[in-house]
Amino acid sequence: MTQSAETTQNKPNNGDLGAQYVADVRQRFPAAVIDEERQTRDQLTITVKLEYLPEVVEYLYYKKGGWLPVLFGNDERTIHGNYAIYYALSMEEGEKCWIVVRALVDPARPEFPSVTVKVPAAVWGEREIRDMFGLTPAGIPDARRLVLPDDWPEDLYPLRKDSMDYRQRPAPTTNSETYSFVNDLGDSHNRIIPIGPMHVTSDEPGHFRLFVDGENIVDADYRMFYVHRGMEKTAEVRMGYHEITFLAERVCGICGYAHSIAYANTIENALDIKVPPRAQWIRTLLLESERLHSHLLNLGLVCHFSGFDSGFQQFFRVREKSMTIAEMLTGSRKTYGLNLIGGIRRDILETARKNTIALLNEMEAEVITLIDMLVNTTNFEQRTKGVGILDRKVARDYSPVGPMVRGSGFKRDVRLDHPYAAYASVPVTAFSFDSGDIAARVMVRVKEFFDSTAQCRYILDNMPTGPVLTEDFAYKPYKYALGHTEAPRGEDVHWSMTGNNQKVFRWRCRAATYANWPVLRYALQGNTVSDAALIIGSLDPCYSCTDRVTLVDVKKRKVTTVPYKDFERYGIERKRSPLAK
Amino acid sequence: MTMNSFKYIPGESHYVPEQAGVDAAVAKFKTALLHRLKRSAYVYRIDCGGCNGCEIEIFASITAIFDAERFGIKVVPSPRHADILLFTGAVTRSMRMPALRAFHGAPDPKICVSYGACGCGGGIFHDMYSVWGGSDKIVPIDLYIPGCPPTPQATIYGLAVALGLLEQKLKGKNHVEEEGEGAELIHPQTPLDVRVRIERQARLLAGYKQGREISDRFVNLLETHKLTSLKRHVQEWLEEENDPRLKEIVGQLEKTLHATLKGGSRSA
Amino acid sequence: MLKLLKIVKDAGEVTIKYPFAPANFTPAFRGKPEYNPAQCIACSACAVACPANALTVETDLEKGTLTWQFFVGRCIYCGRCEEVCPTRAIVLSQNFELAVFNKEDLYERATFKLCHCLECGRPFAPQKQIDYALALTAQAGAGADEMETLKIQFAICPECKRRNHLNDHLSTLCDLQTSGEK
Repeated sequence: MTQSAETTQNKPNNGDLGAQYVADVRQRFPAAVIDEERQTRDQLTITVKLEYLPEVVEYLYYKKGGWLPVLFGNDERTIHGNYAIYYALSMEEGEKCWIVVRALVDPARPEFPSVTVKVPAAVWGEREIRDMFGLTPAGIPDARRLVLPDDWPEDLYPLRKDSMDYRQRPAPTTNSETYSFVNDLGDSHNRIIPIGPMHVTSDEPGHFRLFVDGENIVDADYRMFYVHRGMEKTAEVRMGYHEITFLAERVCGICGYAHSIAYANTIENALDIKVPPRAQWIRTLLLESERLHSHLLNLGLVCHFSGFDSGFQQFFRVREKSMTIAEMLTGSRKTYGLNLIGGIRRDILETARKNTIALLNEMEAEVITLIDMLVNTTNFEQRTKGVGILDRKVARDYSPVGPMVRGSGFKRDVRLDHPYAAYASVPVTAFSFDSGDIAARVMVRVKEFFDSTAQCRYILDNMPTGPVLTEDFAYKPYKYALGHTEAPRGEDVHWSMTGNNQKVFRWRCRAATYANWPVLRYALQGNTVSDAALIIGSLDPCYSCTDRVTLVDVKKRKVTTVPYKDFERYGIERKRSPLAK
Repeated sequence: MTMNSFKYIPGESHYVPEQAGVDAAVAKFKTALLHRLKRSAYVYRIDCGGCNGCEIEIFASITAIFDAERFGIKVVPSPRHADILLFTGAVTRSMRMPALRAFHGAPDPKICVSYGACGCGGGIFHDMYSVWGGSDKIVPIDLYIPGCPPTPQATIYGLAVALGLLEQKLKGKNHVEEEGEGAELIHPQTPLDVRVRIERQARLLAGYKQGREISDRFVNLLETHKLTSLKRHVQEWLEEENDPRLKEIVGQLEKTLHATLKGGSRSA
Repeated sequence: MLKLLKIVKDAGEVTIKYPFAPANFTPAFRGKPEYNPAQCIACSACAVACPANALTVETDLEKGTLTWQFFVGRCIYCGRCEEVCPTRAIVLSQNFELAVFNKEDLYERATFKLCHCLECGRPFAPQKQIDYALALTAQAGAGADEMETLKIQFAICPECKRRNHLNDHLSTLCDLQTSGEK
């Protein structure tokens, strides 16, 4: 396992970024670009002719070092008569900036050429555009429903402005799950192990199917979005700008603060709101304290899944200190409720500052001993080294994020690539490892934990003075921009367009794990069933309920249900396989 | 296994699920169960679609610092082992059937607990198109534990209340305006524009909470002392606190005060 | 293994004593919003700011009342209500012991009388809100004569006022109402 680290203290550049990419696109596809609009110093949106969309995205992605964190639709018929689809590319080789490729779709012909064929990373986004807007990605290899529940009517598209009230609850069309699972590699000799939707290894309920040959996982597929709630629609209708910061927090219970900041940044970028420096620094501090909490949580769960429950309890004991820090600084153990557009709602006075530093130091000392204990535990290396490998090539194709991609040799981190909040002034290090296995992802988290602790201390020692909130701005309609944060699990990317009635016209929220699920399949392939829980856990989707594992013997057409406990026990003990029954 | 049916609300194209029923015999056993469980309660969590904050706090409640097992409360991995079902989340459309399967999978009698803001009333998601708006929309609930998420202390308290170890404290309230009832002015001794400007400035500098604490103390000093001796009293306060940030904020408030006084006091 | 044992030994007993001793939160902790109905002027600022709709208001024009409702079950403890309340009728406490058997115990309600317009007779704004606006105007230095005029003007509904070209005073009223937020 080779390790490398890249540190940037600063990123001085006051000029506008990204013009060269657009020039390159114009040169390569002379007839493609219709329009060009700059949102911020490092965000440019180009509108291209629909038929050129796949080629332009492919060109920027593979030829110009772009990654594709988010794509989405927008019902702009009330503005100019058409739907719009946006593909936001994070340019990370050479000049670092965002190029958003936009294309218009005629409502009379609700269809667009699928980019997935050329850039696999577009697959979930395009399926979601189909679900939410009824625009068909022509030629997409995987056309199944993605986001909407199985019992949702076929032709009701929630995000069309004129389709329905945000509260409308149509009659369920079915009482059973109808999602069809894909099994490219499996044949009738393979057994299928469904896991979930209630199970131990997910942030949200999800349903996994492992296609196995004996003990070996041949393929895997999953059905997520069990917790699809309809937040994006509600944000457009029920809420004001400030209220969405509180809704965004509840996208995820662990990276909540990162989502809230990502959303606030979209509006602040779109309207060019100058957030006071002290607010930016405190936001950065809270983002890092959230990382401390999240990484300790995941390290604890790695212990749990490798059968080391005492270690799990110890990590969770120390993790409490990070929650006390959050409570002290925000009033909530989950760093909830601190953001407004334009700044934050609480300051840090001297007592809290000193207490935070003291707790940080205590926590750091304890984690050093815990890590020492963990890496010296006999079976830790055996369970994590060479297991659950995410190949570098697969990683490049699917644009995964966070420790997942950094464990596969890419130093992607929006804190460094596109500094936001106070990251241009606070020393940040991105850590990456080449081995692509669980061990690499664990080590990325360990390194980041200590780096975050150092950042928190740096911030507390160097906070600028002045206000923590500005109200010196006015909302203007139809302005839009991206906002992003490096959450503990990778980048959260949001996009908003302001509306003309003191409400957002469109809010798009892409959580980190959304980008990581599509690669999980490849990390699972070729491993054994007993490692599945650990591999899924190393993606750090955090953990919810426990249900059961169903074994489907395709050959005998027989379904056996065993408690999930058995599956988890097997993962821990690696004896008495549930498959042997 | 019986599954819930749906009720149509005319005129709005809305449907609501009908709650899974409990028969009278089971209800009787339930009371007995509540009395007998006491120190051995097995809890099964059912995430019906929330943000997972609740799961994090349940985790905290069962690990070393809060240790709910002190009271015999143990989280179990199957509904078949459970005495208590803990429903979190606003009940998304996709989780309705899995949640009902878990509900029917747990043996009777069982206690159903609605956990967190989403469970109790749908939380911030309560009226969205893809949620049903709380666990009591699909199953009968015996106890509500509010919180977003409930802290581990609140979790321990709630489960202890469920088991009859602690008393319920909160009661519903209904106030009807009384004759002559009126709101009192805040800092009535201070000119309105002075107070409003100082409070606004303090909020921008230190947020709504610390800002209010600081401006209140500042305005109190202003009300109890003459303007000429204010500086001295402020100085004493700052020395006592010895907080550079507080010093900066109060310094700004003093400037605001003097600017407002100079500008005449009827400008609001 | 020895490392683990040493860690366990060093950590000692870490479990908190609650509920046998009070729960210790930091002073920053946000618990249940406590409501003082006497201080409330039924201006609805909290209901507008509440992201979760835990706070709602409903007017009953038949009865001429406004009912304010707080459903603590839905509360997300963000404290926006406290932030925007112009009279400090709602303040977050550290109370966290909120579990109840009966859902009805999660509701707090308060009903206020609406002022009937002096001209058209329709109920249009809470009487307490108008009284408070008058008290603020007096505090801001309005003389006795001016107050007598304002008392009448404040009791006229916006529509009648618009008809009477009294927009100036309407905006004064609005300014005073929102002074808590900005």
